[in-house]
Amino acid sequence: MAATLTANDDVMRRLLPRLPAGVWSLSGFTVVWFGGIVIPLLAIILVSFFQGRGIRINLDPTFLQYERFFSYGGSDLLARSVRIAATITFIELMIAFPFALWLAKGCKNNMVRLLTFTALTVPFFLSPAARVIVWRSVFGINGVVNQALLATGAVDEPVTWLIFSEFAVHFGFLGAFFPTMVWPIFLSISLIDNDFLEASNDLGANRFRTLVHVIFPLALPGVVAGIVFTFIPMLGDTVVAQHMGGNNVLMLSAQVQSLIGVSNFLVAAALAAVVLGIMLAFQVLLWAALKPVGGLNEVFANLRR
Amino acid sequence: MRTSKHLYFHLSRRNFIKCAAAGTAIVGAPAILKGLTRKAIAQDENTIRLLITGPTLIPGDWSAFERETGFKMEDTVIKDDPGIFLTEILVNDGGDRFDIIAALTGAEQDLIDGEAIKPIETSAVPNWGGIPESITQMPYLQRDLAPEGGYVWGVPLAMNADSFGYLPEKLNEPRPPEEASWSLVYESEKTLGRSSTGDNYIYLWEALAYLKNTGQLEVGDLLDPSPEEAAATADFLIERKQAGQFRNFWKIFDDQVSDMKNGEVDAIRCWEPAVREANKAGGDWVYANATEFYTKWMHACYIPTQVHDRGNLEQVHTALNWILSGSYAAGITPLRGYVTGRPDLAPQYAEENGMGPEVGVAIDEALAKVKFKFAKEDFWFSAVPSNLQEMQAQMDRVLNA
Repeated sequence: MAATLTANDDVMRRLLPRLPAGVWSLSGFTVVWFGGIVIPLLAIILVSFFQGRGIRINLDPTFLQYERFFSYGGSDLLARSVRIAATITFIELMIAFPFALWLAKGCKNNMVRLLTFTALTVPFFLSPAARVIVWRSVFGINGVVNQALLATGAVDEPVTWLIFSEFAVHFGFLGAFFPTMVWPIFLSISLIDNDFLEASNDLGANRFRTLVHVIFPLALPGVVAGIVFTFIPMLGDTVVAQHMGGNNVLMLSAQVQSLIGVSNFLVAAALAAVVLGIMLAFQVLLWAALKPVGGLNEVFANLRR
Repeated sequence: MRTSKHLYFHLSRRNFIKCAAAGTAIVGAPAILKGLTRKAIAQDENTIRLLITGPTLIPGDWSAFERETGFKMEDTVIKDDPGIFLTEILVNDGGDRFDIIAALTGAEQDLIDGEAIKPIETSAVPNWGGIPESITQMPYLQRDLAPEGGYVWGVPLAMNADSFGYLPEKLNEPRPPEEASWSLVYESEKTLGRSSTGDNYIYLWEALAYLKNTGQLEVGDLLDPSPEEAAATADFLIERKQAGQFRNFWKIFDDQVSDMKNGEVDAIRCWEPAVREANKAGGDWVYANATEFYTKWMHACYIPTQVHDRGNLEQVHTALNWILSGSYAAGITPLRGYVTGRPDLAPQYAEENGMGPEVGVAIDEALAKVKFKFAKEDFWFSAVPSNLQEMQAQMDRVLNA
């Protein structure tokens, strides 16, 4: 057995250039990533510049699919989707940061922490539709909230905008994407050495100065990750806008589904290309926003300290 | 078309495999693999694999089918969006994995052009011969399934004449068999902010039928609307949406039931089974006898081309014959209110099998439905109208407004 292994090792050494294992795994990952993600994305962009109908594609280049998309209310759709995703991402950050700070540094009771972890995790065991659809019976015309408002005399008639409205879509997203913002921030704050906080205190900084000048800069990797993992998947969410908005608030992903449903693959490709453009623009904005604090490399270097 | 300067490319797994094969040394490998796949499927000749686009067409379970034919039925439900369904069949070669395809009529030409289905030998399906004239005269058979002088491409699975549900007491509207107007869905003050319709091209098409039947729009051919007619209908729906008419635009069956059960709407364009579900929860919904039109549809069963190579064609013919039997009719009609291709066989089957008087009542209602609802001129829905993409684009414009 040992002899066989040795012989195999010799063969491998002769066949493969002598490179560190890390380089091999990185190269392998790059090949898989390029073949599985980059090439299909490039294919989508390429296809969006062709003409055709259904599964029949004519390889004459054209901007027709982009013209069609924008002529059917595409600009409103884009503006609405980005506005809602950006608003929710901002609100999530405002809520999630203090929550993650409390969870990482403030909460000393392990049982409370465990229960909080569970509460953040349990929703992921349910289907996205099940997580969202329950709100219909809470916010509906005959829902709990309206019943309470009517019973207390706060309103004379049920409030209709609680569901099938932009308010409802915002609310649905808040719950669905809270964990994706909390987790990365919690992890990065947890990695901050308590000695830094004590040193800041010893040097006379109050809690606010410690938060602004010590905790927030060191938590930036988590903040950046939280923003990325919240904003971008929200653009592709197919559940919340449908169930909470009742198709009164159409978003990008629903439009893609609609186009594919009628074999309009080329306009769907154009829309996907536009979404890719938005995501790239978002990354550029993020990069620009982080430049004053040393850029992405410097921000993530904090994790190594 | 191939003589033009354009280069065309058909997206399909088969084409992809052909291209790959040309560039590899093992030219025959994909064909061998495909043959092996088919052989593997054919090994279990007593199982019928059904791809079906309408979950409500499944008769609860397949126990009666399995008992009476001796075969096992495995159903797979797929969305009835034509893009999804046609992609599964034409691009992903669904015929490799399914013995029967059940889908809305209207997509036959795409399936025939793509060589995805083959004609049916009606002599091997005895119940085909007795389909009542009231059904054989329908455009679905004459136009789609069995064009005169041509092949028979599919057998009827089930059909219905769709309208809308409403609350007669609350809206002070008559109950069926009195008729009610589609205006309850589109433009009645009584249902302002309390009505709903669907979110795709079918429901734009219905609004077009409403505009035609109320004299609000001149329509050339309602069976195949033009892009201009679709745009005019979208303008109407946008105007009504901005007036606050619609509570929402539902997507799926559960949305319809939820809207009714939760008291969100007083009138809703919906499927007939949704009214039954809502009433099980104590509602007082009725399914309209509509004044202007019905959306008449039919699901049909097709035999994929690949079945002919697999050697289980006889079993598939037996399964199709069961679809046209009294057993399927006596199962699905009381459950959903749908009409099958052979409703006439159901009473005898129900009597012989001691199924109770309610089955007979349901069958009588179904036959009356064929007589009255299907007799109304408008309109015979087709899954793939000529301007499908333009119609959906216009509906998207409505949703975006």
